[in-house]
Amino acid sequence: MRLADQVSGALLLVFGIGFAVGARRYPYWTPHGPGSGFLPLWLGLTMAVLAAALLVGATRRAGPGGAWLPGGRAFTRLIVVVVATALFIWLMPWLGMAPGTFLFLVALLRFLEGHGWGTTLGVAVATTTVNWLVFMYWLSVPFPIGVLGF
Amino acid sequence: MDLFANLALGFGVALTPMNVLLAVAGVIMGTLIGALPGVGPASGVALLLPLTFGMSPTSGIILLSALYAGSMYGGTITSVLINTPGESASVVTCIDGYQMALQGRAGPALGVAAFGSFVAGTAGVVLLMTMSPLLAKWALSFGPPETFALMLLGLTTVTGLTGDDALKGYISMVLGLMLAMVGFDIVSGDARYAFGINEMADGVDFLPVAIGLFGFGEVLAGAEGAAKMEILHAKYGLRDVMLTATDWARSRWPIVRGTFLGFFIGVLPGAGPTIASFLSYTLEKKVSRHPEEFGHGAIEGVAGPESANNAASAGAMVPMLTLGIPGSATTAVMLGGLMMWGLRPGPLLFEKNPDFVWGLIASLYLANVLLLILNIGFIPPFERALRLPYTILMALIIVFCVTGAYAQSNKLWDVGQMLVFGVLGYLMRKLGYSPAALVLALVLGPLAERALRQSLIISDSGLMIFFTRPISAVLVIAALAAVAVPLVRALTDALRRRAVVPA
Repeated sequence: MRLADQVSGALLLVFGIGFAVGARRYPYWTPHGPGSGFLPLWLGLTMAVLAAALLVGATRRAGPGGAWLPGGRAFTRLIVVVVATALFIWLMPWLGMAPGTFLFLVALLRFLEGHGWGTTLGVAVATTTVNWLVFMYWLSVPFPIGVLGF
Repeated sequence: MDLFANLALGFGVALTPMNVLLAVAGVIMGTLIGALPGVGPASGVALLLPLTFGMSPTSGIILLSALYAGSMYGGTITSVLINTPGESASVVTCIDGYQMALQGRAGPALGVAAFGSFVAGTAGVVLLMTMSPLLAKWALSFGPPETFALMLLGLTTVTGLTGDDALKGYISMVLGLMLAMVGFDIVSGDARYAFGINEMADGVDFLPVAIGLFGFGEVLAGAEGAAKMEILHAKYGLRDVMLTATDWARSRWPIVRGTFLGFFIGVLPGAGPTIASFLSYTLEKKVSRHPEEFGHGAIEGVAGPESANNAASAGAMVPMLTLGIPGSATTAVMLGGLMMWGLRPGPLLFEKNPDFVWGLIASLYLANVLLLILNIGFIPPFERALRLPYTILMALIIVFCVTGAYAQSNKLWDVGQMLVFGVLGYLMRKLGYSPAALVLALVLGPLAERALRQSLIISDSGLMIFFTRPISAVLVIAALAAVAVPLVRALTDALRRRAVVPA
């Protein structure tokens, strides 16, 4: 946790300073009062101060503290879920919403969680259908249509 | 009477078949969301927001507020039966509720929670209905300095109370305000921090951020270890949840105290149902003649907090509707919804959209009646829903997050944003930052900036304008005090540690 606080503190410090520097590209004050760079500058500086306090506080803390990220299998699960979701989103324009949803659910339920094929297909088909009916049919959201034509 | 005419108008709106149906759907989904550990009311509201795009704003808010009320009831079921709070406002219910269940009194525990919630929820709406118009009328006189001061107070108090670590809470808030700066500035037209990307120039959208931080982020936190839950077997037929005369005698006053305490805590910006339930538990233990029974199945320990959290959820609507300042994470998400539907929350809402406001109030009465019936007569189906494996639930929520993020703007960019903020939300939770403070700041950021600039334009003494007007002075000083106390402590701690090393 100490290292995590140091890293996040340092990143936020850089972000705050960068934000404040970026704010200088917009007018700070105009004849009509505060310009579009006014609040961003102060926010950036405030962030820099807060992040510095976090960084200093964490550095002075005794002992590294407990782990904050899960290890082993739990961490793997986490990464798999994030990557699967990212693939689902990234492939959506090509695959289409409905087939994407179906494949995503099959991948997660069958291969990550180890549910039986019966449960997996049941949940995947039902969810894909309901999702399609509600959003595409009822709310007419134009979801991407994939190579399969639906 | 004005009030009754308005209420009649409200019931006229709320009792149309479509809106009754939505209220029923809302309370059922809310109870489920409250009962399932790992999905809280804020996620529920964020996930359902995209569904409301096809509806009128009134129907939308009826669905969402019924869901909010339902989640307060539903959290109890999990607390009592599996000793795991379904959402944070039911944490204290675990203490005595689970003990009662172990003694075979799960029925009365759920029963007193349902009755208490009903009394408190209904009384809360009465108070909401009578107080809000007065507050709105008073707030009409607010100029930009008062508006800004009020937002500042809302931001600082919510932030100070949501996290364990005040410094990280304020960092989360400032981060939210910074994100609110991205995109076109209304006054000058500058595309701030857009880096030439069109999507960035449109700004950071509230909905993908809320769905990501709350929905996806919570799922990820749960994904790392899908816990096996032990559900206590008990009877919850109609006869089992009825209370004995002794139970009534013991719970009567805790319910009344919880109602008033909860409502007024809920009205305060920044203090929502969770804090109300904790305070009620403490209060009941203090005034009880047998404090030693608390922790071993005292019915007062269920009756008080469960009433308080329902009253508080009604109370939290007061500042949201009248001032445009949400009192909790859930109302912050609702406020974002209000703005997406094209409504301007604030004192004018009561004048310009009476059918919306009074329809909402009437539907809250309806929701409480529906919830009483649901939670007295239909506990078994909810208990069965708890047996749905988390692994399946998680996959379904992710699909819903992706769909919802796409549905608003039909852009994959927003879905990507949802994913990024989901991962960020997970990291924030793990590292002790406050996603609620970030979302609140993102919602209030543009409004606060406009109020600040308008104040400085009309001021001829710079920032002093906030201190020369009495209302804004009181609010700003309260806001500064809310920041100063924990922050000064954090800074002095940091400096004291530094002082050990000679400079």
